[in-house]
Amino acid sequence: MTFDLTLSGSDLLLLAPEIFLTIWLCVVLAVDFTFKQIDHENLAYLSVGGVIATLINLIWFDYTGVQGALFKDMFVLDGVAIFFKILVLISTALVLLASIDYVKSFKFFKGEYYFLVMMSALGMMFMASAQDLLSVFVTLEFSTFGFYVLVAYLREDQKSSEAGLKFFILGVFAAGLLAYGISLVYGETGTLVFSEMASAPGSIGLAIGFIMIFAALGFKIGAVPFHSWIPDTYQGAPTPVTAFLSIAPKGAALAILIRMFYVALATFKPTWVLLFVVASILSMTYGNIVAIAQKNIKRLLAYSGIAQIGNVMIGLAAGTKRGSDAILFYLLTYLFANLGAFAVVIGVSNLIKSDEIEDYNGLNRRSPFLAAAMLLFLLSLAGVPPLAGFIGKLYIFVAAIEQELYTLLIVGLINIVISMYYYLVVVKKMYINEPHDPTPLSVSTPLKTVIFVGIAGTLLLGIYPKPFIDWAVDATLMFSNITAPTASDPAILTSLAGG
Amino acid sequence: MLEELEFGFPILSILLFLPLLGAIGLWTLRDTDLIKKTALGVALFELALAVLLLLRFIPESAAMQFSERLNWIPALGISYHLAVDGISILFVGLSAFITVLIILYSWDTVQDRAKAYFMSILALETTIMGIFVSIDLILFFVFWELMLVPSYFLIKLWGVGEEKHYAALKYVLYTLLGSVFMLVGFALLSLNYHDVTNMYSFDLLDLLKVPVPVSDQLLIFWFIFMGLAFKAPVFPFHTWLPDALVQGPIGMSVVLAGVKLGTYGFLRFSFPLLPEASTNATVVVIVMSLALAAIVWGAIIAIMQPDFRRLLVFSSISHLGFVVLGLFALNFQGLQGSLLQMINLGFTTAGLFFLAGFLYDRLGNTLLDNCGGIASKMPLLATFFLIIGMASIGLPGTNGFIGEFLILLGAFQAHWVYGAVAVSGVIFAAAYFLWYYERAIFGPIGEHVPQALKDLTQRETIIAVSLCVMIFWIGLYPSPFLRMVNGSVQAVMDRLDHGSIASIEQDRMLLSHAVALEPEGQDRAMAIRNPQSAIRAPLNPEGRTE
Repeated sequence: MTFDLTLSGSDLLLLAPEIFLTIWLCVVLAVDFTFKQIDHENLAYLSVGGVIATLINLIWFDYTGVQGALFKDMFVLDGVAIFFKILVLISTALVLLASIDYVKSFKFFKGEYYFLVMMSALGMMFMASAQDLLSVFVTLEFSTFGFYVLVAYLREDQKSSEAGLKFFILGVFAAGLLAYGISLVYGETGTLVFSEMASAPGSIGLAIGFIMIFAALGFKIGAVPFHSWIPDTYQGAPTPVTAFLSIAPKGAALAILIRMFYVALATFKPTWVLLFVVASILSMTYGNIVAIAQKNIKRLLAYSGIAQIGNVMIGLAAGTKRGSDAILFYLLTYLFANLGAFAVVIGVSNLIKSDEIEDYNGLNRRSPFLAAAMLLFLLSLAGVPPLAGFIGKLYIFVAAIEQELYTLLIVGLINIVISMYYYLVVVKKMYINEPHDPTPLSVSTPLKTVIFVGIAGTLLLGIYPKPFIDWAVDATLMFSNITAPTASDPAILTSLAGG
Repeated sequence: MLEELEFGFPILSILLFLPLLGAIGLWTLRDTDLIKKTALGVALFELALAVLLLLRFIPESAAMQFSERLNWIPALGISYHLAVDGISILFVGLSAFITVLIILYSWDTVQDRAKAYFMSILALETTIMGIFVSIDLILFFVFWELMLVPSYFLIKLWGVGEEKHYAALKYVLYTLLGSVFMLVGFALLSLNYHDVTNMYSFDLLDLLKVPVPVSDQLLIFWFIFMGLAFKAPVFPFHTWLPDALVQGPIGMSVVLAGVKLGTYGFLRFSFPLLPEASTNATVVVIVMSLALAAIVWGAIIAIMQPDFRRLLVFSSISHLGFVVLGLFALNFQGLQGSLLQMINLGFTTAGLFFLAGFLYDRLGNTLLDNCGGIASKMPLLATFFLIIGMASIGLPGTNGFIGEFLILLGAFQAHWVYGAVAVSGVIFAAAYFLWYYERAIFGPIGEHVPQALKDLTQRETIIAVSLCVMIFWIGLYPSPFLRMVNGSVQAVMDRLDHGSIASIEQDRMLLSHAVALEPEGQDRAMAIRNPQSAIRAPLNPEGRTE
């Protein structure tokens, strides 16, 4: 296999967002070194500016329909890639803004923090474009290295170091699995490009290889049974990093999962559907049940995140074009609700230095704004209409019903009821219980901005989801031929009524 | 019921969002007195709009009136589609009426966090209005679920019982459990529509045009039944009700006992969409047995209650049994009686809850031990208590009589056994009410009755009088109300009688007939909305993707 690396100007255009972000993060680092006395808050705004510029670039690509593939299909820019890059960049911008107050409490390496966040974001942007197992491996590791450092950023805090170590060991293990899986798949098929694998005949080696790759990606998205690192890492990591971890890498890894299963493994759909059904049921049930017992809000959100990924995998289990639309839209709704909830957690922990749910007692009296925002985000996560989460869940359940996945559906629905319970427990503490310390809490402007963006997103996606659904539908046009919908067969309902 | 009439003015949207805007407006106010006045003003304006709606409503018509439609999520065929017909029109008026009374009742009785309370009440009104005016299934579901949010806070924050936290959570989780099943039922209906037309739609009027295969109807029926039965609540899904009604504030109890959302759903969705399943012999026997069990069991338990609010809870379960009985008698009188009885309960059961509230405010609880001989101290209360109570047990001349009479007529037509068992419920009802009344209101003055016991205040009298006016109006001259519901009830009846396929053919014929007669059809300010669109063929231009 030879690589032809001659690039023309128009080819480079496809890489423009990544190139720009690379230059920008070097600039941020350089500014930090050169002007020692610069206020780190300004550094943060500089970073956010760069991320937003990249975002605008991508939105312009999406609008004008710039698409293409580079390096023998290793890097592809299509609707799905653009969607996930935008998802990653929005979360990066929000996380950077939410970090400002938190970073002030760091003793050193304040500037490098912003650099590392953007670095991870860059890696995830490449992940969204990976269409080849080699680039999957490289980009996945690229983005994860930034996180290894970020998770252990609080050097003085034992929990943070523990979190970093756990994350590192399990992450490296997952990377090993991924590499081994890739080598098996290459051995069986003789290619690394997804689209070329589609015609390969099935074999045991291929199956084992893909299961290993699935395990490695499952580690990234935190699906049961690959979730064990999540609660401790989420709890120990600096809260803005937890917020970042809870959405961006999951999105990027899902981009790879969708591509891999929809393109490379389209012919084996009946087999992998089962894989996702099981993983989805386990994630939803485990995540929701264990979340009930949590006393720490970050752990609660960690488990709720595991459950939410279970919901997302319902879309993969459906394995249709609509399933992929639903995943994209669901991730958007999850982005705003989840980041918003973490922003509230950051706000509270900045002020009272605690993440215990007990300390949310009477939050409504101390800061009605934070309490109301948290209420909205939790209700959206629970799927209460007309908030974003409801439309996301509805969409994903419709995709499942189309494919007659009734067991999955019933488990999913029961899980909604379970999840409502622990979200309401937090609501109860905020609104009903008396605060231990009734001093009012004030929220800084950047954090307020993040919370307002979260509120706006949660409401907008719920009340007027049309443009976003259209976007998701357009982005996944390339999967239109994956499997013809079988819903036109009236036997669906009949068979259901029979059994 | 496929015909749509537009009004040229989005009166339903205004009805829907006015209370919500009012609630947001309250947020900006600080002065408690001003807050109360604004809340009352908003509620009265809403009532005025609802009365206007009732006056402009064309009676004896099965058409969907005041229709408004906007695309919401075209990819799934979900639209913002509002309309009222004979089935929902009276509920709109009732909800607006009850909200005014609740605000009046809460004027002095709610001191703690008054602003949040009135905001919750107004927000609750929006969600209830939404349930009655939505004819898109998902939009309906949105309001159905959304109603839980203000209800949860009302029970939790302003509840009067010790167990209010438990009650609030139980209410939310039980209702949620039922409604997720209902959502599956709705999705299956939409999927069936997709099988035939290759488009998605959750619009009731679209779904009515496509027959559901008889074999699938049963399954969908039970899915939807779960949602409705938990909310109604139909025996034995009622266990959340005693907790919520006894522990919650009076305002919430009035809404939960007075506005019959669950049974409304049967008339709105189950019967027209799933006529074969609704008339299925097994289904009818099962539901009728549940209804009879509720009537008899509820009434017997009510007799034994020492607490007036608990008595009302079980009497409410018993009355709901009557409503379900009338519905599943599946004949015109039964449906008509049930629909009217649902409205009646909004005046009688809800009225008794108000009276329980009056007693509670004076005595600190509603236990029988603390009452006795109150009549001599509070003659006004004793009088209204008697009137509303008599209406509740169906004394001729009151509204309860009309409703129960029609229901029993329907039940006897369906099968004499149903009627015979149900009649025993009427007797039990008289027993529990009169026995309680005698012990609490008459007789020697109880030991624990405070010396200084004020009779009804002016505000309370207004509440009681307005309830009595409605009770006697419906009781003595029900025909305006019956005329409003008749057209739609007949349309539901036709679908039940002829089954879905024949009904759809008939609707098509009627619609083409309406096209021919269009000039005469332009009654008042309304016009038949582009008749071709009412029989929208599968070729829909609005990009409803599959």
